[in-house]
Amino acid sequence: MRSALMDALFDRMAHDQRIFFLVADMGINMCERFEAAYPTRFLNVGIAEQNLIGVAAGLVNTGFRPFVYTISNFLIHRAFEQIRNDILLHNIPVTLLGTSTGYDNAPLGPTHHIVDDWGPLAAAGGELDVYCPASKGYAGRLVARALEANRPAYVRIPKSAALPDSCIQDMQHFPGDPGASLLIGYGSTAGTLMSARQDDPSLGVLILQKLLPIDLSAIVSGYDRALVVEDHFPASGLFARLCQTAMINGWRTKLVPVGPGAHALTVCRDSQSYFQRFGMDAASLLRKANDDLRV
Amino acid sequence: MLYRAGASHLGPSMSVIEILDAIYRSVDCGRIRQKAHNRDRVILSKGHAAAALYATLWRHGLLGDLDPRTQYCQEGSVLAGHASHMVPGVEHSTGALGHGLPVAVGCAIGLRSAGVEDARVFCVVGDGELQEGSNWEALMLARTQRLSNLTVLVDANGISSIRRTQDVIDLEPMLRVFEGMGLTAREVPGHDSAALDAVLRESGQPSVVICRTVKGRGVAFAENDPIWHYRSLDEDRFRAALLALAEAVPETEEVLA
Repeated sequence: MRSALMDALFDRMAHDQRIFFLVADMGINMCERFEAAYPTRFLNVGIAEQNLIGVAAGLVNTGFRPFVYTISNFLIHRAFEQIRNDILLHNIPVTLLGTSTGYDNAPLGPTHHIVDDWGPLAAAGGELDVYCPASKGYAGRLVARALEANRPAYVRIPKSAALPDSCIQDMQHFPGDPGASLLIGYGSTAGTLMSARQDDPSLGVLILQKLLPIDLSAIVSGYDRALVVEDHFPASGLFARLCQTAMINGWRTKLVPVGPGAHALTVCRDSQSYFQRFGMDAASLLRKANDDLRV
Repeated sequence: MLYRAGASHLGPSMSVIEILDAIYRSVDCGRIRQKAHNRDRVILSKGHAAAALYATLWRHGLLGDLDPRTQYCQEGSVLAGHASHMVPGVEHSTGALGHGLPVAVGCAIGLRSAGVEDARVFCVVGDGELQEGSNWEALMLARTQRLSNLTVLVDANGISSIRRTQDVIDLEPMLRVFEGMGLTAREVPGHDSAALDAVLRESGQPSVVICRTVKGRGVAFAENDPIWHYRSLDEDRFRAALLALAEAVPETEEVLA
């Protein structure tokens, strides 16, 4: 997934002299070609994420369009105040590219479980586009999208693609049978949702490739029940946002959170184990969708 | 301004005022006014000294129709208590400390990458502010990138928020700290306009100018007293401050008149 985005960025930099690519000492075997091809518009600022964001803001001041890359936990958490003040308050077009989201780096431990990134960031105020590509086709188009939107953006890049390259819309809806539950997901949960639908084609599935701003009313309010499946704390993630929308608009839809309830501090496991632990795996989703919710 | 607004930050504003004035004397204000791409960039990172910044911008004709004497920190005014990019001439909003220098470094890198050779970047930080780690991230990059278009001015008034800096985080001898990082460092009396003018004419390597100042300078009862970071002037103190200023800084009489 990352490659699709980086290929697009590399190609675009050849034609758009405004683009400046910044990294915080991450991206081995990825950065080298940028450094070689665009030595005056690529910079590794070192392991210094606060500075990374400030430098990006300064680059905008001098006419550049920075794309900023590192692992999401360092990018968002370490530099939260810089993003809030230097980017969002100034409403400037810096595009944040964050990898290893959710449980993509699960065995590395809870400091690398990125389950609390975009929600708090989105709540920091300001105009922010949040993308979460689930197809390489969509990821490849995000560089152009961000440039066109001309405002702050955060791209939450999962390791693998769950949708075929041809899926380039902000959301992909696979309608369910009447009365069936809807599974909503994004990021690395998208693959799980597709597996669940394969096992039970009656289920509705909604895969999001963009989290903000987006209006899901037309789809979600048509279902009686929706499981909001996310590799992010539901309390600050999509579930929380949908609950607000549902309350304001009087949806009849019952929304059910499926995601980590807390940081997993005690066990070193792979991402699939965490999905099972928090009921985000396909089997758990099928049980929830077909049993629990019909009670 | 401060008295009329009932505002604080008398101490840090009085320590930095000559530094700011010297910077704006050294830059092309016309380019700043036009927001030209090759303008010099001035970033006040210790954004709580906004009163001093706005007074300086006004003095150099950069505030447009705004008049900080009557509008600073007044209801509905854009001239709020911390430096805001909504104000003409202000490059970047500051107030949370440790933000301005990384942005200034970004400006310096951007100007260099854009091939702009006739613009410089000035960033004013407080010595207390240097306790924020982001400054050191920025300085390390500035040194590595050999940003010869960047000048960092430290308002070294010796007091951070509530204590003397040396009792909180002791950076002295500051000159050696910066030199040890490979930066070109100078030390000047920070209320000496001629000395400031001279040092600002220098350029070359990324440079740090340590401006030795007095917090609350010119207002005897406020000098070197941390409380005047926070306390606002009542009428008696305001009158006393005017008298003290007139005595300490003779040219003030003309302004006060």
